[in-house]
Amino acid sequence: MTSLTLLWIALPFLIGFLIYLLPRLDRPLALFGALVSVAYAAQLFIARSPINLRLLDHFGVSLLLDPLAGFFILTNGLVTAAVILYCWGSNKTPFFYAQTLILHGSVNAALACTDFMSLYVALEVLGIATFLLIVYPRSDRAIWVGLRYLFISNVSMLFYLVGAVLVYKAHHSFDFVGLRGAPPEAVALIFLGLLVKGGIFVSGLWLPLTHSESESPVSALMSGVVVKAAVLPLVRCALLLEEIDPIVRTFGVGTAVLGVFYAVFEKDTKRILAFHTVSQLGFILAAPEVGGFYALTHGLVKAALFLIAGVLPSRNFKELQTQPMPTPLWVALAIASFSISGFPLLSGFGAKVLTMKSLLPWQVIGMNIAALGTAISFAKFIFLPHKRQDKAEPSTLPIGFWAAMLLLLGGLVVANVVYYDAYSLENIVKPLATIALGWLLYWVIFRQLAIKLPRVLEEFDHLIGFMSLSLILLFWMALA
Amino acid sequence: MVLEAFVFLTILLGFFGIIFKKNLVMKIISMDVMSTGVVACYVVLAAREGLFTPIVADAQKGAYADPVPQAVILTAIVIGLSIQALMLTGVMKLAQNNPTLETSEIEKSNMP
Repeated sequence: MTSLTLLWIALPFLIGFLIYLLPRLDRPLALFGALVSVAYAAQLFIARSPINLRLLDHFGVSLLLDPLAGFFILTNGLVTAAVILYCWGSNKTPFFYAQTLILHGSVNAALACTDFMSLYVALEVLGIATFLLIVYPRSDRAIWVGLRYLFISNVSMLFYLVGAVLVYKAHHSFDFVGLRGAPPEAVALIFLGLLVKGGIFVSGLWLPLTHSESESPVSALMSGVVVKAAVLPLVRCALLLEEIDPIVRTFGVGTAVLGVFYAVFEKDTKRILAFHTVSQLGFILAAPEVGGFYALTHGLVKAALFLIAGVLPSRNFKELQTQPMPTPLWVALAIASFSISGFPLLSGFGAKVLTMKSLLPWQVIGMNIAALGTAISFAKFIFLPHKRQDKAEPSTLPIGFWAAMLLLLGGLVVANVVYYDAYSLENIVKPLATIALGWLLYWVIFRQLAIKLPRVLEEFDHLIGFMSLSLILLFWMALA
Repeated sequence: MVLEAFVFLTILLGFFGIIFKKNLVMKIISMDVMSTGVVACYVVLAAREGLFTPIVADAQKGAYADPVPQAVILTAIVIGLSIQALMLTGVMKLAQNNPTLETSEIEKSNMP
């Protein structure tokens, strides 16, 4: 089992480099790499017993693979496979597929490790691979968006490194559990790094621009899996140490409400989705013990939505209101929107019920507001006009797009088996009421509303400046 | 103690440079100053208990330095170097259309 695990971690990197040597086989090889991860995650669920590896000595690399990590790994595998299928017919160069696989491998590594140093390396590799994917079009805007991302993530990781050395100073080991006896400034510095990397609360305001201005497949990868590589360590720390748990839960509620607040006022499809990622990460953090399932459903839905947003004729809702889209496309969009709003029959429902059940009393109000905001912002997608396609007019959407949709939306239906106990009358009524209220509010208020929120907080200097404020906030939270 | 104070001063100065310098290249250099501070932080910590290189030999000269932080920070140095190389390449491309490289200007023309 140990050698299989190590092989699984190394394989995406090997395949990534192999693609350079065999550029003709780029797509099949990349797809194979992604499917290996899916198979590995499935095996984790079947085996049920967590694998705990400790390589070298007590300051070496430690890995933990349990069903919680299995959910994240499965998300990673499915989303990467869907993105590769989506790009199958496009004229992307082998470089793109190689980087995708290297990104996939670094996310796997970040999900598997449970010590701060391996996590640092994995997150930095992930940052570089993401940067290369963002700047793939090589336009000025893409380069600026990529540079901004790399700069912010690197500065936050420098703070993280200082935190890691403080943990080492206290315990002579980099393990996650070392956070217990570490000074509060160590907790603050490490959490700052993870919050920025994960795009959470005000530290995550770099995310909307980055995710909305990248190409759709790259946005799908980033929103679906990349940010989760930093969220799982936060969840793990919360589960390991009860004194960290309230901090993580507080940030969960904060980011859920903040993201949804921006999303309901937004008029651009991809920016709504990006703000929504900020919000949904909050649902994962708000109930860490069941975060894995939520991460899976969110990853699948968000990847599907970003891929659909990429084939819509426009990004502006005003223009979309006047240009009906083909009905099959609308059906896919509606399924994804229903799942994320928590509609029964799709696994978003089960995930939401499970999360809401695991909340602490003080979190309930905030999370219900966030759920209502989700329903409002996705009403914008559901009520877009559509028309039946003429037989004479050939379908413009490539087969790869539908293959990706089948994989992601099919995954949503199948994932229902994880928590089928959710289907009781009481559980079903509440999300339906939330959705109905959300739609009502959409038609009465938000449809006509034209408020443009200022984007000053998303400017580069402010993002860096906010890091110092978050650091102070985190320090006092850790001290309390 | 004095050494540690200087290390944290370096980190802080680098961080302020990132915020207050307007030019993108200067910001990247400030980031380098900051990462130098972080590297120094690891080295100072490793030398807490001793200064000698931990090599097995017949004659022991004195207390050894802790090799783990040094080994670990070596990885971070390499990563920092490659990230800077990537960033500067990006800046070279940006400089063709934004010769002053002021971030506020670049941001204005690239924010939708």
